Amino acid sequence: MLYNVHFGIYVDVAMPVEDKSKSLLPFLLSPKLLPDESEAEFQSGLQSLLSELDNPSPLAVALVSQLNECLWWIKRHTVDKELLLHEAMARLLSKAGSYGGTYDNRKVSEALERYLDGRADKDEAEWIDEILAESKLTLSDLRIRAFKDAAKHIKMVDDLIHRQHQTIRHLQRSIDSIDYKSRLIKRMDLELAALESKQSLKGALSLDDKSS
Amino acid sequence: MTINPRRNLANRCNALKSSGPRSVAGKRASSQNSRKHGLSSAPDFESSIEYQALVDLIAEEGFSVFACADIASSLLNYRRVMDAYHNTYASPEPVDEFLRDANVKASNPIFSELLSPSGSEPADVREMAAFFASMQRQERRKGGPVSRRTTDTHKLIRYQRNGIARLSRAIRQS
Repeated sequence: MLYNVHFGIYVDVAMPVEDKSKSLLPFLLSPKLLPDESEAEFQSGLQSLLSELDNPSPLAVALVSQLNECLWWIKRHTVDKELLLHEAMARLLSKAGSYGGTYDNRKVSEALERYLDGRADKDEAEWIDEILAESKLTLSDLRIRAFKDAAKHIKMVDDLIHRQHQTIRHLQRSIDSIDYKSRLIKRMDLELAALESKQSLKGALSLDDKSS
Repeated sequence: MTINPRRNLANRCNALKSSGPRSVAGKRASSQNSRKHGLSSAPDFESSIEYQALVDLIAEEGFSVFACADIASSLLNYRRVMDAYHNTYASPEPVDEFLRDANVKASNPIFSELLSPSGSEPADVREMAAFFASMQRQERRKGGPVSRRTTDTHKLIRYQRNGIARLSRAIRQS
């Protein structure tokens, strides 16, 4: 059976899992990715989750796609924790200018990023070393102070990650409930069919008895 | 805990004194409160194309009519929250780099030139420098783009919690 779910997208209930998920994607999944994120990676995560289910219903597919999105958010927020630390380190370094002046925050941030990745050229590395020396800090001291400065925001990111975990738990329970319901319906259908066949057999036997 | 009628009356009288904004500007500002993400407003899912399609799809799985309606609207509501979450995350309030990085002390001659080109009026210059410094403090307190988007998305946690709880309840109770 076909359903027009969203702007001409059709879902066939009897179609294989992968096709079902593809048809539902524009509607319930609609992966809203950031410019630097890979859609292929997102889709492969979804497919691996779907492959763990045994012939899932469209509603289960929709819930699994929400679950995949939660996992994606956890990844994003985990990266954010490191970015917050970097932001705080750059802020501390840019404040280290002499005579109350400050360094250009953006320049410091970019140079620090390359310095930490080991991609900085000689001048940049010397500049960062100079600022560190000026502020009387080592790189690990700077990281500790930055962690202290960004603690409030890092706690917020932890809350966001925790929320995603809770959401995943809710979704898992919902998927289990749908799965159990469909198994129950199948079992009842089988029992009903068995009863009906028994009944028809009994009817046939009683007819035979009467005729004999 | 017993209710003291005198205390109750006093509370009500006090509440009347502080019941929302009074000035035109204040009322205008508070009228935009729910416009940031629109999640506080009651949505009308029943008239959308997606709602009917979802109801039909869920009905195929053996749910009752009421359960189908409940699950469909809960799912659409959850999507609405997650879309707002994404939009908030993807477009945080921009950083005013000029204000953040400006050297207020070094800007005093510019302020005095702007305020009194003919002669110096130190009080005015000091006031302007103090105002500029307070704006700069506010801007710096907000942090960089990552801090801003973290603060903004953190405000949506309760909507997400309510959205997923409603969806989960709708599915498991049906």
